[in-house]
Amino acid sequence: MTTPQITIHDVLTGEIITRDFNAAELAQLEADKAQAIKDAAAIKARQAARQAVLDKLGLTADEISALFG
Amino acid sequence: MALQTFTAGQVLTAAQMTTLQTNAYNQTVSTKTASYVLVAADVGTRIVMNSASSTTITVNTSLFSAGDTLFLQNIGAGVCTVTAGTATVSSAGPLAIPQYGNGTLYFTSASAAIYFPTAVTIPTVSSALTYIAGGSISNTTSVNNCFSATYLNYKMVLNNLVSGTGAAVNIRMRASGSDNTSSVYSYINNGQNTATGGTLNLGVGQNLSLFQLGYSNQYANGMNLSIDFFAPFAATNTHYGPGVFWNDEINYAGIIGGVHKSTTSFDGFTIYPTSSTLTGTYKIYGYANS
Repeated sequence: MTTPQITIHDVLTGEIITRDFNAAELAQLEADKAQAIKDAAAIKARQAARQAVLDKLGLTADEISALFG
Repeated sequence: MALQTFTAGQVLTAAQMTTLQTNAYNQTVSTKTASYVLVAADVGTRIVMNSASSTTITVNTSLFSAGDTLFLQNIGAGVCTVTAGTATVSSAGPLAIPQYGNGTLYFTSASAAIYFPTAVTIPTVSSALTYIAGGSISNTTSVNNCFSATYLNYKMVLNNLVSGTGAAVNIRMRASGSDNTSSVYSYINNGQNTATGGTLNLGVGQNLSLFQLGYSNQYANGMNLSIDFFAPFAATNTHYGPGVFWNDEINYAGIIGGVHKSTTSFDGFTIYPTSSTLTGTYKIYGYANS
């Protein structure tokens, strides 16, 4: 697997470097990925809860939008 | 040649005639290297100030008559100011003559003159928005040293951001070459579909480790955003917003904003996709403090 890279622009010197992620950045990337999965799951759960309410009311999402804008 | 009164029977010499002619074509020059008080003999001549320090030309009464004219100029680095002594000096422009400036002093009576400046000091025009830096975004891209004590607030313009399907585009604040990943970022990211009117809550959260800008979902035209950053370099909370974004392909326009709750002084930022790739450009501008 290719190591992710970071490009760093230094405004003071005008220098632009591209290098592989270091250990800390790789660890943060993994943490971010894990968080993204959790966030996506949370969004899915919210959508499911919303759909459950809609089903209970017998309304579609468009009808709810028409009601509440 | 200073003005003089010729009397009946007086012989006008060739030398005097030549001097008069010279004065008619090239005014008699009188160079002063220090502040000067005009005298009657200066009428019709050119007073040239040449001093590295500030000087004055003082105008007094009862020396000149209505219609008398003097030409004043300054070739020195020090500003020369036409100063009313006992006479009145009026002017529509500045009385200060900058280096290589000049003007005409015209007397309307023995006690009043008008100064007509032909060169004025041009005020320095300062821009409200100053370009600081810009460049290409290629996947994870950090920008160091774009925030400083020079400006309190900044504008960030992001053009044509294209990330992979389902990959959010995020920003983290940065200090001394390291991203700040503390869980003190809070933001909202809300959009609305311009075709259907449907709302889209792209993201909202408190005490996270990033600001989320939105999703470009790989469409070629990508997202365009304009965001203000408030006090990123100051030792106070960093706020951002109201960011306005537009996603060309999915017809969403929206607004974003948030806060980084810490007193950390930031000198840069990192923009990155949650996954996959990210391309686009950034530009950073500083708002003038006054």
